[in-house]
Amino acid sequence: MDFQNRNNTANKFVCPSDRQLALRAKLKAGWSSSKSSEPLRPEEQEAIISVIRRNEEIEVAERQRVGRLVERVEKIKQHAVERGPNCCRLCGDTFGILRPQRILCEDCRQSVCAKCSVDINIRYHTSERTREIWLCRICSETREMWKKSGAWFFKGLPKYDMPRSASATPIPNPGLPGSMAGDAIRAVSVQSCHATPTRPARVKKLTIRVNDSSSSSSGHSDPEDEVDAGNGLSVGGANGDVAKGMSSGRLQREDSFRLRAYGSIRSFIDGGERKLSNSFFFGRQQSQRPSECPEYDSVSMSKLRRESSFLRRGSVSSSWSISDSSGSGSGNSGNSQSQSQFQQHQQQQQHCRDPLLGWLEIAISYREAFHSLDCTMMRARDLPAMDSSGLTDPYCKLNIITPEAHTKYTRWQRTKTVHKTRNPEFNETLQFVGVEPEELGNSLLYVALFDDDKYGHDFLGAAKVCLSTVHSTSQYRISVPLGVEDQYSNAAEMAQNWPNGKMLLSLCYNTKRRALVVNVKQCINLMAMDNNGSSDPFVKIQLKPDAHKNKKHKTSVKWRTLNPIYNEEFYFEASPHDLNKEMLILTVWDKDLGKSNDFLGSLQLGAQSKGDRLQQWLDCIRLPDHFHEKWHCLAPENPAH
Amino acid sequence: MASGGDPKWQKDAADQNFDYMFKLLIIGNSSVGKTSFLFRYADDSFTSAFVSTVGIDFKVKTVFRHDKRVKLQIWDTAGQERYRTITTAYYRGAMGFILMYDVTNEDSFNSVQDWVTQIKTYSWDNAQVILVGNKCDMEDQRVISFERGRQLADQLGVEFFETSAKENVNVKAVFERLVDIICDKMSESLDADPTLVGGGQKGQRLTDQPQGTPNANCNC
Repeated sequence: MDFQNRNNTANKFVCPSDRQLALRAKLKAGWSSSKSSEPLRPEEQEAIISVIRRNEEIEVAERQRVGRLVERVEKIKQHAVERGPNCCRLCGDTFGILRPQRILCEDCRQSVCAKCSVDINIRYHTSERTREIWLCRICSETREMWKKSGAWFFKGLPKYDMPRSASATPIPNPGLPGSMAGDAIRAVSVQSCHATPTRPARVKKLTIRVNDSSSSSSGHSDPEDEVDAGNGLSVGGANGDVAKGMSSGRLQREDSFRLRAYGSIRSFIDGGERKLSNSFFFGRQQSQRPSECPEYDSVSMSKLRRESSFLRRGSVSSSWSISDSSGSGSGNSGNSQSQSQFQQHQQQQQHCRDPLLGWLEIAISYREAFHSLDCTMMRARDLPAMDSSGLTDPYCKLNIITPEAHTKYTRWQRTKTVHKTRNPEFNETLQFVGVEPEELGNSLLYVALFDDDKYGHDFLGAAKVCLSTVHSTSQYRISVPLGVEDQYSNAAEMAQNWPNGKMLLSLCYNTKRRALVVNVKQCINLMAMDNNGSSDPFVKIQLKPDAHKNKKHKTSVKWRTLNPIYNEEFYFEASPHDLNKEMLILTVWDKDLGKSNDFLGSLQLGAQSKGDRLQQWLDCIRLPDHFHEKWHCLAPENPAH
Repeated sequence: MASGGDPKWQKDAADQNFDYMFKLLIIGNSSVGKTSFLFRYADDSFTSAFVSTVGIDFKVKTVFRHDKRVKLQIWDTAGQERYRTITTAYYRGAMGFILMYDVTNEDSFNSVQDWVTQIKTYSWDNAQVILVGNKCDMEDQRVISFERGRQLADQLGVEFFETSAKENVNVKAVFERLVDIICDKMSESLDADPTLVGGGQKGQRLTDQPQGTPNANCNC
């Protein structure tokens, strides 16, 4: 009747936390202590029961509504392809320079294409500023579901009934209308403070029932079993569920995981589908010893641990090979690489997180007498394509990274550019002088590959080589996978000198006016041409060869500045098809009165461009009515000449 | 209770065409006007006859706020102590509380602190509270000044309104404000802190509780 007694009866719903007890002790008025023992009169009971019944109807409708929300998200998940990191998680499109742009979902950190993602504005309540983030459709729908179901408040999904499987999976439910009302009567009559009916279920624990018999090697688990596991995962956590789990003879083993609600909601919503996605990581790990893959980030490792439980169910044994082959197939379709060669590399590349970035072969030797480290860039393979013909003009930039994570030399060494190939043979030796023998043990050689272009150098891939294995006696040869951008590659790019400055350009194809909108936003670090150490810059814009005979446009002149801000828009009539053949030419000039204008720099954008320029051009055609903004470097040549 | 057969209620309750569902609870001492307040909001009706609420009752109303349809299930609780065990059971599900006192009744004002303790004890941590001083139309019998009410609200860190169910003063404003606060809280908890989609530390506290039971039977 009172709290003390209730505690002793081991009813876990009633057990108050320490905080509750402490707070109750403070209540001098003592609602709990000076409880009137007068029972409710029958008519009062009836009135209360009628209210509870009414509430029951709402609860049932609510559970069904939440069930529909969950189902909706699940359906989207079922349609997800999950081919691997180089393909859109949802539609399976491969990313690349000529293909959809990769967008990283804020929540699941998986790659998706622009079609399958939503950008939402986030408001920070503390600072009143907004931030735009991208979410894949799954995660944005999951967030919506959390809002709509009230899970955001209870920190876990409330109890729900799935629309279709409601009849197939009768849960021994304490929440059935009849029993509920019965409970309520009892609760009311004993004046218990825990009339449970409206207590919202919340994440108490996640019970994953693992069917340990790995007999289901056929790749399909018994559907009934599947359903049951789904129920076991339900976040309801009502004691009925648990009781069933323990009494069910079919289950040979019950593993209970107490995960953060995050893990539980994710893993249970994705249900069976999830095991596929994560077995991607797991399959990788199986294919080689764990010690050989130090590159897993903590996220995928933790996922891996979590999902390993799914793997035990045996229904996913072959998933790696499936996703693997499909991934390579689609990755291949875009380039002229031969299939066999690709697969051969793939074997080696499996521990590389982003296999399509390519592969670099280096030879390193150390001459102790000169304190000189000789790094020979032998060759690179399978570099990303940067222009529309699928080729690249790669070169390498090298530096040494000290144990304090700084670059040792301010000047980056660079190789010559090898033109028009994705498999360049560099065969060039670069020397680092002044490397002490003891430094070798804890320094790294950093190599970043860039695409050489007049209007900016685009990142291709980067590699770090540990120098501790380099000896003075022999040459050390190694083939390293190329990874993604990091702070050093950015530093390498920044070290590049662009005397002509940069321009921020925003492009948009307006489908209503059937025109390309060019917004010249601003320029920085232009050259000074006038005696006063400044310039009077303006930008000329034209489209060539122009099918619609658009006239040339000019921005206004910004007087006496090297960092002009224009923010001026110009329209060029063109069909999207035309744009594939045309080239946007921007030239920056210094306005001089009385004599001819001085040339300051140029920029060309079009389907013949490379790297970022090509990317922006294609994005603009692919995603019309959106502005695509990018910084570009200005080249010193005047294209008109 | 009588509203059970009300066709309008049935229509509203059965309406599934909404985005969010918020459960709100009105609490406060007996006879401060909780039921009148709810009737004024949900049915736009008022009667000065006093009928003590038996245990608990609720009404459903769907409102339109920020382009979203929000279904409110508003629980009206009995202020009398003998029903306290029933009413506290409903604190758990409530996202928002309207804590009401009567500006003509000193006792009801003094009990506010006790009610806050009740909320802290039984509700979820992030439940939102609004303090409401009702019967502000009865100026001649007023004993609690607006200023005192406001000070208490500041002290408790909640928003404050003075209302009159009889004259329909601020009734709608209170509910709208509470819905806004909850909406804000919702976007804040999810958007500004995506890790919460998975539940933060607060949720963890509760998950600790039932751990013993399954472990006893676990043979791994």
